[in-house]
Amino acid sequence: MKTSSRSNRRAQLAFGSAIFALLLVSAVSYRGIVVSGASERWVRHSHQVLQTLQDLRFAIASLQSNCRGFVLTGEEPFLLAYQSSGLRMRQDQTALRELTADNPEQRRRLPLLESLGNQEIEHAEMVMDHRRKQGMESAISAMRNRPDQQIVGDFQTVIGQVQDEEMRLLILRNEDAQRHLRQIKMLLVLGTVLGLMMAAAAAWDIRRRNSGRGQAEEALRDSEEKYRMLLDGVQDHAIFMLDPQGQIMSWNAGAGRIQGYASEEIIGRNFSCFFPEEDIQRGRPAAVLAIAASSGRHEEQSMRVRKDGSRFLANVTCTALLEPGGTLRGFSEVSRDLSESKESGAKYRGLLEAAPDAMVVVNPAGEIVLLNVQAEKHFGYRRDELVGQKVKNIIPEGFAERLIADGTRSAAEALAQQIGTGIELSGRRKDGSEFPIEIMLSPLESAEGTLITAAIRDISIRKNAERHLAQMEGRYRGLLEAAPDAMVVVNPAGEIVLLNVQAEKQFGYRRDELVGQQVKNVIPEGFAERLIADGTRSAAEALAQQIGTGIELSGRRKDGSEFPIEIMLSPLESAEGTLITAAIRDISVRKTAERHLAQMEGRYRGLLEAAPDAMVVVNPAGEIVLLNVQAEKQFGYRRDELVGQRVKNIIPEGFAERLIADALRSAEDALAQQIGTGIELSGRRKDGSEFPIEIMLSPLASVEGTLVTAAVRDITTRKKAEASLLEKVEELNRSNEELGQFAYIASHDLQEPLRMVASYTQLLSRRYKGKLDSDADEFIAFAVDGASRMQRLIQDLLAYSRVGTKGKELLDTSGEEALQHALVNLRGAIEASGAQVTHDALPDVLADEMQLIQLFQNLVGNAIKYQRAETPRVHISAVRKDGKEWIFSVQDNGLGIDSQYFEKIFGMFQRLHKREEFAGTGIGLAICKKIAERHGGTITVESQVGQGSTFRFALAGSQDKL
Amino acid sequence: MNNGERKEKPMQVLLVEDSPGDVRLTREAFQQTNPAMRLHVAADGVEAMAFLRQEDGKEDAPRPDLILLDLNMPKMDGRQVLAHIKADENLKTIPTVILTTSEADIDIAKSYQLNANCYLNKPVELDAFENLVKSINEFWLTMAKLPQHEN
Repeated sequence: MKTSSRSNRRAQLAFGSAIFALLLVSAVSYRGIVVSGASERWVRHSHQVLQTLQDLRFAIASLQSNCRGFVLTGEEPFLLAYQSSGLRMRQDQTALRELTADNPEQRRRLPLLESLGNQEIEHAEMVMDHRRKQGMESAISAMRNRPDQQIVGDFQTVIGQVQDEEMRLLILRNEDAQRHLRQIKMLLVLGTVLGLMMAAAAAWDIRRRNSGRGQAEEALRDSEEKYRMLLDGVQDHAIFMLDPQGQIMSWNAGAGRIQGYASEEIIGRNFSCFFPEEDIQRGRPAAVLAIAASSGRHEEQSMRVRKDGSRFLANVTCTALLEPGGTLRGFSEVSRDLSESKESGAKYRGLLEAAPDAMVVVNPAGEIVLLNVQAEKHFGYRRDELVGQKVKNIIPEGFAERLIADGTRSAAEALAQQIGTGIELSGRRKDGSEFPIEIMLSPLESAEGTLITAAIRDISIRKNAERHLAQMEGRYRGLLEAAPDAMVVVNPAGEIVLLNVQAEKQFGYRRDELVGQQVKNVIPEGFAERLIADGTRSAAEALAQQIGTGIELSGRRKDGSEFPIEIMLSPLESAEGTLITAAIRDISVRKTAERHLAQMEGRYRGLLEAAPDAMVVVNPAGEIVLLNVQAEKQFGYRRDELVGQRVKNIIPEGFAERLIADALRSAEDALAQQIGTGIELSGRRKDGSEFPIEIMLSPLASVEGTLVTAAVRDITTRKKAEASLLEKVEELNRSNEELGQFAYIASHDLQEPLRMVASYTQLLSRRYKGKLDSDADEFIAFAVDGASRMQRLIQDLLAYSRVGTKGKELLDTSGEEALQHALVNLRGAIEASGAQVTHDALPDVLADEMQLIQLFQNLVGNAIKYQRAETPRVHISAVRKDGKEWIFSVQDNGLGIDSQYFEKIFGMFQRLHKREEFAGTGIGLAICKKIAERHGGTITVESQVGQGSTFRFALAGSQDKL
Repeated sequence: MNNGERKEKPMQVLLVEDSPGDVRLTREAFQQTNPAMRLHVAADGVEAMAFLRQEDGKEDAPRPDLILLDLNMPKMDGRQVLAHIKADENLKTIPTVILTTSEADIDIAKSYQLNANCYLNKPVELDAFENLVKSINEFWLTMAKLPQHEN
């Protein structure tokens, strides 16, 4: 009902709006037309004005020409024409005045126009008058004297102004008119469309509703018919409807036949009237309804009363009828008269026999009244052996107690408590053996009272299975508890159903806190997503994908802290579906180790890469496992081209042989021999070119065994430098030799001519001294002196150069002997000066003997020579320094040397005294210095003027004495 | 008894020396020490051999009692002369003393190998030179016994 009124209202609304729209449209368009009409009129008005103006123009022009015409010809037609023009002009002006009555602006101009018109007419009159009275000549001169061009011109100008103004107005009005027209059109169209749409919508909606309803009504009528036919067709069953209180709402033919009432009699009455009096007292009808309402359906076999008061056993099924929303609408009752069907008993019997379970019917006294063939088999009895027996004989305990009426309750009540439950008891066979059974009970109304039908099921197998399962479960639980990893079992919904003690520890929860929780709570990400069934796959499929793989995720403890875990999954079939068992391992330590390792590896790799030398790591099989960027550069390979290659490819010889394990020794031994030594080998680049390398090896323990790390240094430059050095040394040697030769040859060849000069000047001096004049003597003396000095200089120079060139290898030399030798050479000087020469024990040293003698000779000789008055005392000693060197000292009590000359005295040909004071070329100490330096040391002096000097030099001790 | 007593004949010395300066010095030096000695001079090896073999215009050259031989000479140097002298049966008995400025060990060794009788270094200084000449005279011409020969 409601829907129809609603739809009616809607339809009304729709139509109303449509009509309203249409009305609106009409109103608007009417107004539009009116407005449009007005503007039309205005347009026309303007046109009129313009036309009048034009006419006026023309009028005055013709007036003027007609006047002229008359002047020229004097003929009547012109005059007439002139007059008609004048008239027209006046008429136009009048019209204009009328037309511009509404427009003050235009009106303003009119007086001027009129005055101008009048002027013109005056002029024309005047001229024509002249013509008439005095002839053409006079008229023409009058025209010339008073030209009317200005007037006409002005007239035309004013007309022009008025025209312009009117044009402007015309345009505006035109636009106006157009605009109005457009508006009207648009409104019309819009309004019409809108109206039509609404009407259409409304019409469509109504039709839909109507047709639907019509269809529905028809269908309903149809089905009603069908149901009525059905109901009435059933004769055996009473089928009728009750309202929630039990009032009878409908009746069928069968009900009429069974119960005896006609529909008119019974509809509206309560169905309790079908119950026996005692049941009504007990409140049975209400109870039946209540049961049906609560469980949806209730079936019972109980007594009913017909109209005529007779009773009969009926099988009644009462079904609750619910609205879609769940509210109780009423009940349907289907009843059957059991007593009238002879076959019912047989049918019942047939059913019993055919039942797969053992069926036993027991009477209120606890005696078996009926049983089926399965019962015979289960219990091992024959039917006649059991019928009449106490049920206790086959079900010793549990049955009778539950079901037989006793002092506390009736059989029916006892039964009512047990209906529907499967009770596990123990059954006893004929042979006395017991077996587990499950019984299901249902009541059976009969003339004898309420019988109990028991369906007995042998559950031994099930019991075994259960026991087995319990055993397995126990075992499984044991395994679970004992597992070293945390084990968690999750159901398809993602809830934890089982966990072990390790899981409690790892996650910090108690067992009961986790069971039933979403696994997401302990494994926030990665578990549920992978494993719970989602739109794309079932749980089983999801699981199948994950079995066997260790997945790294993050676990969350109760305190919220997270830690890295690795989970391994396996499926577990169970009654609840496929459960997922997850073994969870806390891998924090492993993760830390991995991170540490990665860090170390990173650092190591960093070191490797940063190393200035090429680094190559070789495995025991001689293959390159690792290299750095320097290695790439040095050998000209890309990293991937070298890894895995035999090291022989880049170091053809010397590496593998030294280091690879062979029959004689293990890799470790081989390596041990090579550690720390820099080995010079040859490296081969990618382009085949070879270059000298030096490798330094060190071992590297790894999971692959002992690897060899080789630092490879490109020593090309060094080799070049060495070669260059060698070359230079050779060159130097050669040069030295040449120099020595040169010095030797030079001084040797110089000697010859010098000898001539010196000898002959001496001869001259000897033979002619005193024979020539004193000048000659002096000259000769200087010449001789010069030559002698030169000879000595050359000899000294030769001696100096010989220190280097004729120097011999440093050998074990006795310092003592060398000194003695020198003293022998100085015998003369020593005796002559009376010098006292003393010395300490002198060691054996590494020296060139000749040169050592020379050294001693020069120093001691100097010590003796550079004295004034005293007896020269010279002392030679030697002290050990740093365990390897001997510092020799030659100390004297001579003149001493001023400190400013300490450097100078060792220079070549440097003297501190005049030739007259002390002889000598000044080469002695230079030779000493050269000898000392040749022996790897230096010569130094310590001296004080007037006190004496000490000369020191160092020599390497003899090796043996070390 | 010295040679001067036994024979009244003056000693003959052949000086093979290319340097006139050295020749004069040697002459002066010998003049001082042994004026009676007759000093013959050959300027090079070829002249020396001609003198010794008494050929090529030197037919009446006397046989010298001593030869003083310089090493470094043009055309045929002292070493060759020495070799020739000591190869010649006739000449090899004449004492041949090398008198040279060279101190080279190799020259010394070679000379003795070629059977030079003595190797002497010419001193640089005049005095020393004169002493040496004096020594030569003393040793070879006074003290040493020289073999007799037919003239």
